[in-house]
Order: sequence, then C-alpha cells, then structure tokens
Amino acid sequence: MMDDQAAPRSDSLAWVGGSDAPEKSAINLGFMALTDSASLIVAATQGFAQPYGLTLNLKRQASWATLRDKLISGELDAAQGLYGLIYAVHLGIGGTPPVDMAVLMGLAQNGQSISLSHRLQAAGVITPEALAKRAHQDGAKLTLAQTFPTGTHALWLYYWLASQGIHPLNDVNTVVVPPSQMVAHLKAGRIDGFCAGEPWGAQAIAEGMGFTLATTQSIWPDHPEKVLGCTRAFVETYPNTARALILAILEASRFIDSSEENKRSTAQLLSGSDYVDAPLQAIQPRFLGQYEDGVGHAWLDRHALRFFGNGTVNMPYLSDGLWFMTQFRRWGLLRDDPDYLAIAHQVQRLDLYREAADILGMEVPTSPMRSATLLDGKVWDGTDPAGYARSFELHALTETTRPLAL
Amino acid sequence: MLRILLINDTPKKVGRLKAALIEAGFDVINESGLTIDLPERVEAIRPDVILIDTESPGRDVMEQVCLVSRDQPRPIVMFTDNDDPDVMRQAIQSGVSAYIVEGIQAQRLKPILDVAMVRFESDQALRAQLHARDQQLAERKRIELAKGMLMRMKNCSEEEAYTLMRRQAMSRQQKLIQVAEQIIAMNDMLGQ
Repeated sequence: MMDDQAAPRSDSLAWVGGSDAPEKSAINLGFMALTDSASLIVAATQGFAQPYGLTLNLKRQASWATLRDKLISGELDAAQGLYGLIYAVHLGIGGTPPVDMAVLMGLAQNGQSISLSHRLQAAGVITPEALAKRAHQDGAKLTLAQTFPTGTHALWLYYWLASQGIHPLNDVNTVVVPPSQMVAHLKAGRIDGFCAGEPWGAQAIAEGMGFTLATTQSIWPDHPEKVLGCTRAFVETYPNTARALILAILEASRFIDSSEENKRSTAQLLSGSDYVDAPLQAIQPRFLGQYEDGVGHAWLDRHALRFFGNGTVNMPYLSDGLWFMTQFRRWGLLRDDPDYLAIAHQVQRLDLYREAADILGMEVPTSPMRSATLLDGKVWDGTDPAGYARSFELHALTETTRPLAL
Repeated sequence: MLRILLINDTPKKVGRLKAALIEAGFDVINESGLTIDLPERVEAIRPDVILIDTESPGRDVMEQVCLVSRDQPRPIVMFTDNDDPDVMRQAIQSGVSAYIVEGIQAQRLKPILDVAMVRFESDQALRAQLHARDQQLAERKRIELAKGMLMRMKNCSEEEAYTLMRRQAMSRQQKLIQVAEQIIAMNDMLGQ
C-alpha cells in the first residue's frame, strides 16, 4: 500500500473519521487460552479500540488448528498466531494449501516453557543431562507434546532437545495437544512432558503433575513468540481496519507493560472464565517474572513474558520471520531452500507497522534485522538463512535431487 | 432442507405456491391469512425463509413484517399482484428482501429464494456494522463522561483517570464501559 503522507500526524485520531476510517467497524479476533493473549483481551475490553472506530469481538479457540482454519475461511478476521503457524500456512507446509498470510505485528516475547511429568521427576530425571541419558536408553521412547506441528512450541522443543544432544525426530516421540489440555494429558500419563505457553506449565506444578525443565527465554532471550496474524487478502481489502487494529493493540501492549500494577490487574482479567479461565495463582507469578520450577529453584526472570519493550516486541522484524523458515528447513518441513528474504518481506507487514508506530509517535528500530545469541552459542542475525539452516549438527535436512531436464 | 413458512393471503389462489415449493424440494409449513400473529409463529417455527403470498399487501401485512424484521430478522419474500411502486417501496422499507409481482413458476422459485437470502445476509452484515459503529460512539461518550467525573473527584489527569478505571475494570474482570457506568451511577447518587 502506498502512502504519500509521510509526515507523522500529531493527533493520532485525526484520520479516524476521514477516508482513512476503518472499512469494517467490528472484527472477529481469535485467541487461545494463554496468558500471552493479554494484549488482545485488554485491547478488546478496556476501550482501546473504540477511539479508532473499531469494536473487537473476542473469539476463543479450542486449538491452533481450529484457529488456523477459521482464519483461512474468514470466520476470524485476525488472530493471535504462532509465528510458525502463519508461515506454515503461507508456505503450504502444514497440510493446508498455501494461503498468502500477513504478520501485522509481534504480540509477545518469551514466557513459554518445557515441562516434564512428575513420574520422570520421581525417577530423578530433573536435569537436561538426565533427560539426554534417559532418551538415549533402550526401551520405550519418551512422548513429548507440543501445540501445533509447525508452531513455535514444536520448534522451541526441537531446538532445546537438539542443543542437549537429543534428536527430536529420532530419540523421542512428539505429539500435538492443545495447550489447555496439556495438564490433563500429563495427569492421564499419555505424555511425559510438553512445551506450551503459560499458564499451563505453572498449572502442571500447581496440580503436582510436573515441573519446569526449561523456559524458552533460556533458549533465546527475548525470542519472538506470538504475532497478530491475518490473511494478506484481509490487509489488502481492509488496510485501514488492519492499521486501526495495530494501533489499538500497540496501545494496550504499552499499557500492560507500563507498571507492575497494570500487570497485576491484567493477570486478574485474564483468569476470568471468558478468557484464560485458570486460577490467578497459576497466571500471576510468571506474568510478573516470578518463576519457580517445581523442583526447588525460584528466580526473578529478566526475560519474562513481555508485550511492549518500547515497541521492540511489536516490530515485525524480518529476521524473526526468517528464523522460523530456517528451522522448517532444518527439520525437513521445507524440502528446499525457499526465497527466504522475499517471503519474509511479503509476510512481515513492516509498512503498516511503521505507519501505526508513527501515528503513536513511537520509535521504530531502523534495521529490520536483529541479532541474538542462542543457548547453543550460535548467533542469529538474519544475514544468511540458508547457511544458518545448514549449520546445525542435529537436523533432518532433506535435499531434493534436481531433475536433469528442467 | 430449507424450512419455509408460507403465508397465504390470497383465498382465491390457495395452493398455487405450495405445490410449486414442494415440487422444488422445500420443507413447507403452511399458514393462511395474516390474521395470525406472525412474530409468534416465526418464533415457534424458526423458518429459514418467510414467504408471503398476497394479492396486495395492506397495512396489516406491513406491520407484521416490520415486527418480524425488528425482533427475529429472516429473509422475507413477497409474492403479489400489486405492481404499484409506492407499495413496493413500502414493503422493502418494512424489511422485505424480495418483492415479486405475479408470474410464479416452479423453476424460478429456487433462484428467487437464493437471491433473497443473499440479499438478507448482506443487509444483516451492514446493519451489524452500523450497530457496532453506533454502539462505539455511545460507549465512547459514556466513558468520556465517567473519566471527566473521576478527574474532578480525584483531581487527577486524563491519563491517570483512564488508568484507574481500567485497573478497576480488569481486577473485577469487567469491561471499561461497565466501570464507567458504575462511576456515572455513583456520581448521580451522590449528586454532582
């Protein structure tokens, strides 16, 4: 979309009534029962969208697959999304035909966790080393759950296991379970552990069903996690609606992160039966960065779940989108190298995000790439995705043999 | 199968539509005369479409149609012999999705009903958008009013007032508009 009005507007509401008014005044917004859906719930219920001419109708979804299907069918206009879900739909690798998708903004960083069952705990498997030993023993493979085949939880779990020398596709079984059902599956003994968003890791501890082996921020401090996703068709048909949505959620994100008191009351809102529907005690501590792993360690996490971080959480960095494609490639979900950068440019809607940030007078990072050192010591800065995807000792890379005649 | 509530208001041609509808494969519930309480019948039968066969839609018919479209909107198709544009306009304004003058042929019924249903859905969507817009404006006004009251009561800034209201709402798992209404009600009770 072209915009010839480059100058930021002094009054963020100036455009609402004119030709920039949202084309749709009410939209259906999908979310999952997870604490990191907070910015959507706060935006929808606390009057952040009305000033932009939008009503946000929150629609809780039972699983990521359902959310994906409704996003594609148009039943949901936009939704909380896993980075890996949006890219899998765009690339057509998740069992659905490819549909052009868009990441409007980042919603949250950090705050997922890998939990193991109390049975493993009782057997002394409470360290990465003990888990690696157990995984390499003969006998029944452990079964670990994640929330969506190409989702962030699958990829965090794979990355973490691989960093401990455990091959996620050979040394363990993995299954898909909706996040809010993880604890019940643990209780029933159907799984030995899981990687999911909160409050389900904390709830596993509260119910005496498991403990936290690792947080995802220990894999990658300030890692990208949930995004605001929609189809590209939605952005192109309703560009003003998409921008108004970004504005409302940006303001809600800033509000949540602006004080501990705001975070406490946000946690209270989330525990409501219409939203996350879980006890406050399972939600609030980790929401405030107060962690206990259930096996005697407690700490204040410097990279806990966050929603704003002065806008760095919300910027749809190209390097964030690229990283998920490198992991698809690493684990054989993509059989060939895609045109990494071109695809990231299509999906990450930097243009709309910049417009929205300008309207709110927020600073936008100058580079669309950011750099991080992950727990295995590898540096990711977005510069060589194909090389990075090939650089891991443990992988499931497949190489397609080129046919002789093209 | 579509359930159709068929209202016959044409004693001399009873049955002309019913046979055609059944032939076209619809589930038809027959009623005769508009002396019936239409909203009540719609509530009880929950039809997908309402079909009214009338020689000339009078005021009684329009009133019933108005009530249905206000309380339990459904696609309403009207078959009539009256081609007066004023009557047609009035019928559409009352909530009729399709107004068909004369000439009922079995093979044309299905496309007519399809068009009426699509038209009805797009009308409903538009109505929902307008309703959302009205409600947004109304809510914004109430929230602004409550914010002003709170600023005076607490002698605080606009931003502080919003934050206080939001924290209150969130810690009670309520929406901002609910807290705004509580502030307004309390303000009214305490006077000024």
